Amino acid sequence: MYPRVGEAMVRILARYGVQLDFPKVQTCCGQPAFNSGYWDDARASARTLLEAFDDSDFVIAPSGSCTGMIHHYYPKLFENDPAMLDKAVRLKEKTYEFSQFLVNVLGVEDVGATFPHKVTYHPSCHGTRLLGIKDEPMKLLQHVRGLELVPLPDAELCCGFGGTFAVKMSDISGAMVSEKVHNVESTGAEVLVGIDMGCLMNISGNIHAEGKPIRVMHLAELLNEGVSS
Amino acid sequence: MADTRNKQGSGKARAIYASKERQDEWMQAIADRLGRPRITEMPQHPFRGAPDFWRAYDLQQEERINLFMNNWTNLGGHAFRMSSMEEVGRFLLDFVRETGAQKLLMQRQPELMGLGLAEALHDVECTVWDSSAEEMIDEAAQADIGVVVVDHAAAYTGTIVVLSSPDKGRSTSLLPRALVAVVPASAIEASLGPILKGLDARPKDQLPAGVHFITGPSRSSDIENDLTIGVHGPGIVYALVVG
Amino acid sequence: MAETAGSSVKARSKQALQDDFLRKAVKFTTERLKNGKRKATEEHGNWEEWRERGRQIRLHTIAHLDYYLNLFADNARKAGAQVYFARDAAEAAVITREIVREKQARSVVKSKSMVTEELHINHVLEEMDVAAIETDLGEYIIQLAHEPPSHIIIPAIHKNKQQIAEVLSEVAGERLEPDTQVLAGFVRRKLREQFLAAEIGMTGCNFAIAETGSIVIFENEGNARMCSTLPKTQITFMGMERIIPSFEDLEVMATLLPRSATGQKLTAYMSAITGPRRTADGDGPEELHIIIIDNGRSRQLGDPDFQELLNCIRCGACLNVCPVYRHIGGHSYGSVYSGPIGAVLTPALMEDPSEWQDIAYASSLCGACWEACPVKIPLHDMLVYLRNRKVESGTTPTAEQVMFKGFNYMMSDHRRMERFLRLGKVGQKFVARDGYIRIKGPLKGWTNYRDLPEIPKQSFRDRWKELQVEIAQQPRPKTMIQDIEQRMRKVLEERSKGGGSGGGHQE
Repeated sequence: MYPRVGEAMVRILARYGVQLDFPKVQTCCGQPAFNSGYWDDARASARTLLEAFDDSDFVIAPSGSCTGMIHHYYPKLFENDPAMLDKAVRLKEKTYEFSQFLVNVLGVEDVGATFPHKVTYHPSCHGTRLLGIKDEPMKLLQHVRGLELVPLPDAELCCGFGGTFAVKMSDISGAMVSEKVHNVESTGAEVLVGIDMGCLMNISGNIHAEGKPIRVMHLAELLNEGVSS
Repeated sequence: MADTRNKQGSGKARAIYASKERQDEWMQAIADRLGRPRITEMPQHPFRGAPDFWRAYDLQQEERINLFMNNWTNLGGHAFRMSSMEEVGRFLLDFVRETGAQKLLMQRQPELMGLGLAEALHDVECTVWDSSAEEMIDEAAQADIGVVVVDHAAAYTGTIVVLSSPDKGRSTSLLPRALVAVVPASAIEASLGPILKGLDARPKDQLPAGVHFITGPSRSSDIENDLTIGVHGPGIVYALVVG
Repeated sequence: MAETAGSSVKARSKQALQDDFLRKAVKFTTERLKNGKRKATEEHGNWEEWRERGRQIRLHTIAHLDYYLNLFADNARKAGAQVYFARDAAEAAVITREIVREKQARSVVKSKSMVTEELHINHVLEEMDVAAIETDLGEYIIQLAHEPPSHIIIPAIHKNKQQIAEVLSEVAGERLEPDTQVLAGFVRRKLREQFLAAEIGMTGCNFAIAETGSIVIFENEGNARMCSTLPKTQITFMGMERIIPSFEDLEVMATLLPRSATGQKLTAYMSAITGPRRTADGDGPEELHIIIIDNGRSRQLGDPDFQELLNCIRCGACLNVCPVYRHIGGHSYGSVYSGPIGAVLTPALMEDPSEWQDIAYASSLCGACWEACPVKIPLHDMLVYLRNRKVESGTTPTAEQVMFKGFNYMMSDHRRMERFLRLGKVGQKFVARDGYIRIKGPLKGWTNYRDLPEIPKQSFRDRWKELQVEIAQQPRPKTMIQDIEQRMRKVLEERSKGGGSGGGHQE
């Protein structure tokens, strides 16, 4: 849905000489089906990833949620299929969310970006809770020149996305995203930055529907814009 | 154990639910669920009790006293340090006079009996817990002040511990509006740990029916999260640390 | 513990979301409790070690439940208690009725107990024309208002002072000021009479100590002490999983429970009751009946996905951090237990996945509950497992089944996915404006609150070839590449030695 984000991530990583590939056979990590209980259908989709990345050294995703799916649930999903389970464990061992890879593997905290705007950060639930991402995005943002990082009130509250939850329990989800956007607004930030495409699609969808002047960006986009300008 | 009546199997409809057969059936069903034979020997329990770093937690007696009193005060209680039981006696006389209390109930504890309160307070009804009397609960319900000597206290949580016995009614620390707890300084432990371990160590037939850990006044935040004191139990609680 | 029939969480929550006071009250109280917990755990320190210890004690006890429960029952009997094993609400009712009849009880005072709510004991007593009086301040209020509790710890979280004053004024026969002190004072006087008059006191049980046969009750008001001190007969209901081995283990639970529930170091009262009064004692119940309840609990035993559910110590911390509970409150769940624990426990205690409607879907799976849980129960995972079991049982809506079949068809082959996206691009031409779609229709749940991004003109996979060329021309900071290569190689080496966990938690 967001080719800009993928492109931004690729451009940032390429700056450090990382050899990148995009195996076409991959589709989706299967989380929407998995979270709704349709595990057979989730497995069908997950298999494409296991196949696609069998030869890669590292797998990097611009989404804490998809990464979390691979880390937290693939072993469960394939617990009764030893061959696939083996692949799932290997995939888990090499899969990183973008900011983790940049900071923890590449050792990069300053990408050399300049972004003179007031920014607030939404820590995605699956990134923080399933993967333990806490400081990595902060470190990257703190090194961006001109960027004023303002804290988001009740930052740890879920934005209400939750995959099919947003459609199935739409009124509850709507109340949650409204509160999130209200909190973003209260910071006076021009830009909301995050590390998960699901959350960002949800939050930006509400911001757009309400016609609010807040830009929603993935961290990779922000960094890439900051080094290109 | 004083009371070993066992009315089970006395022909009541509910007896089947209380039977040894049913108990065995249940335990077997649990073992079956867990997919193994029934365990009847005490299993290894490597995680028993608090983490190791916490077992090392200790304080000097003065630190214990200060921490206990601080915690008790922060909870909305009142804490005073006293050098002797005579001072406790004087405090109680003043307290009764100042509050206009009509009735005072004491546990049958030698430290309290020795205060001579009944003699000193002729216009106030001074009752000593008497388990042979019929209406002790009513006595307690009418008392304005209940006085107890605690069995233990824990500094870290600001807790006093009272054990029931024929001489120590559970109602004394519960029904009166005000509770005055005499806390021997030597009874204050750093934390709950040693007190709880002491309960484990008692011979089973010497465990009292009621062991009550009391941490400050009775309280509730059930109405709009607004703290109120003295909902059912005593709202006014004094800890007099002696020694 | 059936869910209210005919109405879903979705429908009930819609109503709750209209209730501005309810949402504010729930938000206010859960925030306070959440912050209280944060402060208390920080002050105490080493919280993660305590949590882990608590989890281990609970895991150990449940894994050996036959041993410890048996030991508890034997020891409680030795101490003079009468111990019953009730499979379900019906059996618990039989036992209760018989004791009540035998004691010729006309009124029963009750202290807060979720398990008696679960068993609908009040209803059993009502049928016998016996007054069942809830004595916890919050429980008393909602009982008078004929409502179920909406929070495990703060049952009347949804009511304001004015509403409470109205309810209590009716009992008082005079107008009571909406002032907390006045209202609480009235309840103290009113219930004191009831405590002294009741023939039976009923309590729940937070923990049961196997080695001594003691039951342990945590409370703040003193009403549970009243119920276990004044009436001649005491009946205690306990879930079969409430066991811990020793008083030593209680120190860990006493560290976790009050801090997690309300941020207190310890509740005002923690009472350990071992048997009825001793013959020479002056007060305390003459008879103590302990009714041990299964009611679906044993079904979790031996089930690798759900056994940990039995570790729950009923602190309510998961409710206080839950972003869903925050907006809809407890009643929307339509079951005795609400919030994340309710969303898992309610279906888990049922025999058949078709018995529950949508309660396990009332979660965005954000994991805040797991993070807050003092014994680390992975509730967010269990919700997914429940949904999976519902799917496997074939009781999910047909339209949804068809949708995920479509997902399967599309996502199991990238060429199909690409074709689908191309089709979507053609279709959306009619509905997309400046990058977003705003139609109602099948996605109205989404579009009621948000716009939907349109499928981009060129997807990442379409763009990949030209992007590779562009990147080859992009400038690179030559000096850094070497140590970056080294770092990557080091990670690969560690992984080959079996030390890799990728981007996950280091375990």
